[in-house]
Amino acid sequence: MKALINGIGWITPAGFGQGHAANGQPLLAGELEIPTRKQIFAGIDRRFGRLDDFSRIGLGAATFCLRDAGAEEWSEKRRVGIVAASRYGCLRTDLDYLETMLSEQGKLASPNIFAYTLPNCFLGEAALRFGLTGNSMIINRHDPDRVTAIRIALEELSWTDQAGILAGIVDLTPPPELAADDDLPGSLFLLLERGPRPRIEPYGELVLQGDQLIFNGKEMSDLKELVASCLRIES
Amino acid sequence: MKKVLISKVGCETALGSGPEKLWLELLAGRSGIKPLTRFSCENYVSNLAAGIDDLAIPAGSSRHDDLLDRVADQVGPIPADSRLLVASTKGEIDRLQTACRHDEPVPASALFEPLLAKISRRFDLIDHGTNINAACASSTIAIARGAAMIAHGQAESVLVYAADLLSEFVFSGFSALQALSPTPARPFDAQRQGLNLGEAGAALLLTNEKRAGDSPLAQVAGWGAANDAHHVTAPARDGSGLILACREAMQRAGIDPDQVAAINAHGTGTPYNDAMELTAFDSLFGKKMPPLHGVKGSLGHTLGAAAALETIVGGFALTAKKIPGTVGCTDPEEVGMGRIGTATQSIDGDYLLTTNSGFGGINGALVLQGAAS
Repeated sequence: MKALINGIGWITPAGFGQGHAANGQPLLAGELEIPTRKQIFAGIDRRFGRLDDFSRIGLGAATFCLRDAGAEEWSEKRRVGIVAASRYGCLRTDLDYLETMLSEQGKLASPNIFAYTLPNCFLGEAALRFGLTGNSMIINRHDPDRVTAIRIALEELSWTDQAGILAGIVDLTPPPELAADDDLPGSLFLLLERGPRPRIEPYGELVLQGDQLIFNGKEMSDLKELVASCLRIES
Repeated sequence: MKKVLISKVGCETALGSGPEKLWLELLAGRSGIKPLTRFSCENYVSNLAAGIDDLAIPAGSSRHDDLLDRVADQVGPIPADSRLLVASTKGEIDRLQTACRHDEPVPASALFEPLLAKISRRFDLIDHGTNINAACASSTIAIARGAAMIAHGQAESVLVYAADLLSEFVFSGFSALQALSPTPARPFDAQRQGLNLGEAGAALLLTNEKRAGDSPLAQVAGWGAANDAHHVTAPARDGSGLILACREAMQRAGIDPDQVAAINAHGTGTPYNDAMELTAFDSLFGKKMPPLHGVKGSLGHTLGAAAALETIVGGFALTAKKIPGTVGCTDPEEVGMGRIGTATQSIDGDYLLTTNSGFGGINGALVLQGAAS
């Protein structure tokens, strides 16, 4: 099972960015800034203002990733899937929704917030903006290495006819009572595809051998190391 | 590719305990939809749902615990090295809701990791499990992934455990979206007004042939998934995502559309979903559309558990060579005329297509094959 990594994009405490213009490790702990529409899209995007913060960072990172790969523009829908791992999911959105629901015994329950209490909804936001018709799912599991979504993506590419998969992580800063020492708030996606893209140099080849992720011939211990290797920076 | 068999199943629904009970109740045309007493519905557009009335809530815990126990008892022992895939959209949402109502700290059970650990422990599994969240297609995607893992030799057995509770959180949300029907849901009926929510837990042990035992329920012969890339909460009216998912599932099963003996459709009872599905099936099958049915007029929409239940029902249908009637569908939409109704229908063939679609634009399809064939 193998693929080329053709794009990387992120919204993390390190800032908003994409791989070909990177100058440091994007996966850092710290304060996470939630992007505005203008920080992601130059043009009008009528839906962006409705999105919850979880969707904003996930959609933003997916957008930067596709932009990095030269794959943002499209004319026909594409068989590209999205797999994202999340520890906290849309818990913040759940809490926001519960505030509206509990205040007046349900009278003021917000339909707009409720729509985003399913964490996979932002995958739909990305799919409709970029014409992505592949499989799409959020996965939750103990994932200290943060590579489960990438493993699943490589399997999906091997087992289906999808042309590519956006694979990554999405998490907002959790409520303090649930915070863990190794939290990395933010979102980062890699675009894994079967072949190279025109005019864009791939970062390298990623192979799944058993449980091992091997990038350009070297075994990767976690997502941080993989991203550092792609960007040729210190992990 | 290795064969994938459904070797053990268990389920708990508003129609009672166990797969056989579920099958018989569906054949009898019964419905578990009734007025809700779990919470006040005064401010919601409906007071109907298909809840499991006697689910216990241990102090400081969730109704999920009792649901899990009941399903696990039905399934019995399974190989400890089985991989675990869970399909739940909101997990133990009742505990988060209670904590917020009482201004308590957010409980750890608001995350999926404790729930996964609980399920893994209850089935004595080594794997800590993965939850798959693909909205109302969560268990379709989980079964598809489990089947793929076995077919490609990555696992000998995979337990898919799917469950969602009937909570005020979800009920109020669907009410706010005006998606709930004030009357019992009528999937594929011309007069349908929306859905009723349900509550269920279900488990399927998927295995290769070596681990299948003597009487597997059915074979998972094909699977497919596709996003509409159209809207986050509304289906693509042309059914394009569902069509893609079904084609992928049939192609993987190595069958043509005319080999599909029956369809178990998602059939939520909302105007847009059911119209989209009929459009997709019309496009796929044309005048040769096989008999189809849906169970949400009986079980309500059980969200993450829906496809797991429907797969169990599909297995029974292939064995019995009949599909139950669709409760509430007294005046079918024109496209489904003669193919769907309240009466049980005989089916002729070895393959059944079962489909689900959900928020986020996701669509999933499974092709089941009779175990005997």
